[in-house]
Amino acid sequence: MASLKRSLQSDDPYAANIASKVYVRSTKSGKVQKIVREVYLRTDIPCSSKLCRQCLDAAPRDAAGRRVGFVLSERPAGTKVYPQGHYLVPDTNAFLSAMDLFEHGSAFYDVVVLQIVLEELRNRSLPLYNRLVALTKSDEKRFYVFFNEFRLETYITRDDGETVNDRNDRAVRKAAKWYGQHLAKTQPGQAPAVVMLSNDRDNLRKAKLDGIPACSLAEYVGQLKDGEALLDMIPESQDRDITREKKPGESLYPEYFSMSKTMTGVKNGLLHQGIFNVSPYNYLEGSIRVPAFPKALLILGRENINRAIDGDVVVVEVLPKDQWKVPSTQVIEEESITKDENPDAEEGDNIVSQQERKALQEEVRRTHSKSSESLAQPTARVVGVIKRNWRQYVGHIDQSSVSQTGQQGRKQDSVFVIPMDKKIPKIRLRTRQVAELLGKRILIGIDAWDRSSRHPTGHFIRSLGELETKAAETEALLLEYDVQYRPFPKTVLDCLPKEGHDWKVPASTDDPGWRDREDLRDLLICSIDPIGCQDIDDALHSRPLANGNIEVGVHIADVSHFVKPNNAMDAEASIRATSVYLVDKRIDMLPMLLGTDLCSLKPYVERYAFSVIWEMNADADIVNARFTKSVIKSREAFSYEQAQLRVDDASQQDELTKSIRTLLALSRKLKQKRLDAGALSLSSPEVKVQMESETSDPIDVKLKKLLDTMSLVEEFMLLANTSVAAKIYSAFPQTAILRRHAAPPKTNFDELANQLRVKKGLELNVESSRALADSLDACVEPSEPFFNTLIRIMATRCMMSAEYFCSGTQAYPEFRHYGLASEIYTHFTSPIRRYADLVAHRQLAAAIEYEAVDPSVRSRGRLEAVCKNINVRHRNAQLAGRASIAYYVGQALRGKATDEDGFVMKIFSNGFVVLVPRFGIEGLIRLRDLADPEPQAEYDAETNTLTTSGSREVKVELFQKVRVRVTDQKDETTGKRGVKMELL
Amino acid sequence: MPLDTSAYGLALLRVDGRRWNELRRMHAQIRTQAAADGSSYLEMGHTKVMCVVTGPSEPGPRRGGLGGTASGGGASSAQSKDAEVAVSIVVAGFSSVDRKRPGRGDKRILELQSTISSALAASLHTHLFPHSTISISLHVLSQDGSLLAALINAATLACVDAGIPMTDYVVACTAGSTSTYAANDEAADPLLDLNHQEEQELPGLTVATLGQTDRVAVLVCESRVQVSRLEGMLAVGVDGCKQVREILDRVVRDKGHRMLLEGTVERGAGLDDMEVD
Ligand SMILES: [Zn+2]
Repeated sequence: MASLKRSLQSDDPYAANIASKVYVRSTKSGKVQKIVREVYLRTDIPCSSKLCRQCLDAAPRDAAGRRVGFVLSERPAGTKVYPQGHYLVPDTNAFLSAMDLFEHGSAFYDVVVLQIVLEELRNRSLPLYNRLVALTKSDEKRFYVFFNEFRLETYITRDDGETVNDRNDRAVRKAAKWYGQHLAKTQPGQAPAVVMLSNDRDNLRKAKLDGIPACSLAEYVGQLKDGEALLDMIPESQDRDITREKKPGESLYPEYFSMSKTMTGVKNGLLHQGIFNVSPYNYLEGSIRVPAFPKALLILGRENINRAIDGDVVVVEVLPKDQWKVPSTQVIEEESITKDENPDAEEGDNIVSQQERKALQEEVRRTHSKSSESLAQPTARVVGVIKRNWRQYVGHIDQSSVSQTGQQGRKQDSVFVIPMDKKIPKIRLRTRQVAELLGKRILIGIDAWDRSSRHPTGHFIRSLGELETKAAETEALLLEYDVQYRPFPKTVLDCLPKEGHDWKVPASTDDPGWRDREDLRDLLICSIDPIGCQDIDDALHSRPLANGNIEVGVHIADVSHFVKPNNAMDAEASIRATSVYLVDKRIDMLPMLLGTDLCSLKPYVERYAFSVIWEMNADADIVNARFTKSVIKSREAFSYEQAQLRVDDASQQDELTKSIRTLLALSRKLKQKRLDAGALSLSSPEVKVQMESETSDPIDVKLKKLLDTMSLVEEFMLLANTSVAAKIYSAFPQTAILRRHAAPPKTNFDELANQLRVKKGLELNVESSRALADSLDACVEPSEPFFNTLIRIMATRCMMSAEYFCSGTQAYPEFRHYGLASEIYTHFTSPIRRYADLVAHRQLAAAIEYEAVDPSVRSRGRLEAVCKNINVRHRNAQLAGRASIAYYVGQALRGKATDEDGFVMKIFSNGFVVLVPRFGIEGLIRLRDLADPEPQAEYDAETNTLTTSGSREVKVELFQKVRVRVTDQKDETTGKRGVKMELL
Repeated sequence: MPLDTSAYGLALLRVDGRRWNELRRMHAQIRTQAAADGSSYLEMGHTKVMCVVTGPSEPGPRRGGLGGTASGGGASSAQSKDAEVAVSIVVAGFSSVDRKRPGRGDKRILELQSTISSALAASLHTHLFPHSTISISLHVLSQDGSLLAALINAATLACVDAGIPMTDYVVACTAGSTSTYAANDEAADPLLDLNHQEEQELPGLTVATLGQTDRVAVLVCESRVQVSRLEGMLAVGVDGCKQVREILDRVVRDKGHRMLLEGTVERGAGLDDMEVD
């Protein structure tokens, strides 16, 4: 047999240019795979400098013959050291640690992003990779991706004994060197310098040995004209890497297990992986849900939490049973306990501070008391972090952590930043601008959390403005909840109809816009929305039919007519996923022109709509349902209040009012049917902030009133959503976009059920949603009408959250919407402000064969990604809305003191939480708030009672109605304003 | 791990450094096993296959062990006037990253066998060998995309080596598109000769043509792609087939030339016309 091992013969013209790369990867199941990839090396990859003629001639073209434009400027900016101009070649760590810097508008132009750097970045952090790719696509920043691994001259192979990292660093140096030599040929003597940026000392040293211009981020920024302001954005830890050696033996926290050890542990079921959550009341207590156990595991104390931050994906180990603990009944706030720590001090021998120790002693005493033995819960400790969920955080500098010198000079100083999110530990920040930043809302990033440091270290990104100014607080909120609030870019606006506000439904019904649309302009359609609603998604009509039945129509803005799949506007909307409603601001998912005009079903004008039309009998049973694209003309846009007045006024006998009465009657029947099926009526405290119209300062807070007309609209929207869900599911069994609400695990209700039994003798039956609804109905206290609402609010918090999903990912029984007691459900009725609805519109349009199916709404992978994003965005939008209300409630209370009724929602051994329905706010009253000196207290976990003695004697029980004085107060040390409650 | 196929737009480079219209390195040998009637070895990038052809042979007593073969070229019975083209494929366990034992009667293998069988039957002059069988036995040593194309090319070479008269080479290659079906990018570039990663992430098709003509002998498309992009992909694929034919032809002529020099064969009439250089 002839030898087959001659595949790379010397006479093969290609042979010299082919390399193989070998990757070893271990799979989730623990298998190790070896992957061999071919690499074709070439010499026609351009340097992309506009100075270079040679590369221009060889520049590649795509299949249509178009050449890619060159990116790097012919006259790049100079620095003090490189006055002739320079291009930057950053290594991976530079991007990993200071992406904000590269995105900054004042510097960092003309950057060569090496392929190897891009690859490494992608493996390390997908979000950063995406940000970098976005930079390479922006015209102004001039970032060019150079495929160094494919260029013959810059490709290198790994040497024996060389680590992958060392090899990659060498590749970066090689590419930087090549660039320098290549450009020198174009303009001998005056070519721009090619500067390698790295924060790795070794890499810098080797570069200098090799004669490659190189500097660290800090050195480089120092050479820039306005470098001072940028210096703070350079991450702390990196800075240290270069300036000082780490002293060994300073570790405060246990070391993490190695990756392979954690992976094997998880595989064997000895370790458990999950998302770490911090208790909102105690920053030293966390919990983690793992697939292996029905209930969450408890993680107590700094050492066990071991540098995990809320949201991180961690691996935990269950502690031996004798170390199991009872969940804390104490409120422990980081601000008050670690208040006086010194940010400059290199932490000594212990991670647990004196004050924390004291708080812990209390815990121990309680754990050891007689009855608690049985209450001890499985407790675990963090042994590894799989994935950090760090983002940018909004916070402010803790005034008490600022030294005198820091306030004056420009010397770099360490301060603590207290994040707005209470679940995030305070972050140590080194900055030269303490004086400027005090009293400001600032945006920071976490860089690292070493074993030797009690607190994580971070770097400054930018200032949002003065604390408590409306602009700064609103932006803070948007950043904190990751709401995309920048103006729509031009590419998006280019997708809008050219006619702008003059766009009209074509007059001629022969126009292509009218194709397959029903003309419903004769129907008496009206919309009912909150006061001042501008983006009117939905309108309704009803009319009697000859056979005695009733025709009911729900007409939804035809957004999919204007937003075509896969264009820039669609892409932007899919990222935003939802409009966000703040008290004084709305951040739209779609440009204003569409949202509040062309799509909005405004009265008196013709609009395109997507209609769901039912034939119903008098019992509100559906005889027939159909779906059609249509043209409508709304007769009136009512507010809920106006519609209610009109319905209640017996003298109004016009057709429109009569049709609303018909709808109202039907909606009551629909609601009854839902309740009979077990739909839950849940509750959360909802308030409305009244603003002064001129200054838009909040002046009062009102509870939202519930009107029949609200329920009317809600019932028909639910019905439309359910009908559409069934239709798109039958058309696309694998890819319909639906919404489900999983039944909550029964254990979620354990605590509440137990409290109700002990305190009120009431039973909470959680067998089914119907049983739960009935038992919630039975939770009444005749003397206290709010009690029922209170229980509903508490029950709501035990529920799972509803989620969007793609029908192929779940079995049919899992489609169920628990809260609505509906077998199948989707969102269809608000396409102006929710992306899910827009997708449902496209699917429905395809299902009724109005248009061809767009691939993007049929691709399961794509839809899963869409669902994942909108679920997160949806939740964030809700949280942002609530936080905005809370902020304005606080502003409305400013300078006032009011006495209000409140209800005790939760009891701790050193305080209790009170809900004040009038403002929809919850506040914590600690023992030390009751009297000075702090009274002694006896806490009974069985009966949830707190009895104080000494300086003040009160007894507080769960569910108790209390009278509190609500004031607003500014904490002088932290500079933070908050609502304060006092027990009267 | 390296970047994925979505990075193409950054610099018009594919995951392995090729441009949109470039084949991978292709290497082939014929007469790799002297004892066989015909044999070949072929690499398209990291996809490596071997082929052995036996026959055409008169049906003897039925040999066992050829369970999973597919045949084409008319009815498979021995009464047929045309020769039967029986194809069997063995996939080595070590050929892909996930080492797995191929099950007997694997659907995908059966389909490949029948596709190859009918493709070759279209070019081989099977009518010259009634009542006989041409057995094509293919071994997959390494898989890195475009497997069907590599198998067809290897089988063609082995048939040439076996001296079975045929109209022209049956040559194959794959074509794809730089953006996914869901991304629905009308401006996506077509791609020639997909490797494994591209096959996983992008839409693609396999096309085989008869030698230098544009006659398509095989067209297999198992992924979803917009019809508007199909034309471009097909054009690139057919063009690729022509390049493949050049390469195979060169391999055959080189081998012929070498055999003449070595005196393995006598200089015959036909061989004089060959341009060997
Ligand atoms: Zn150049």
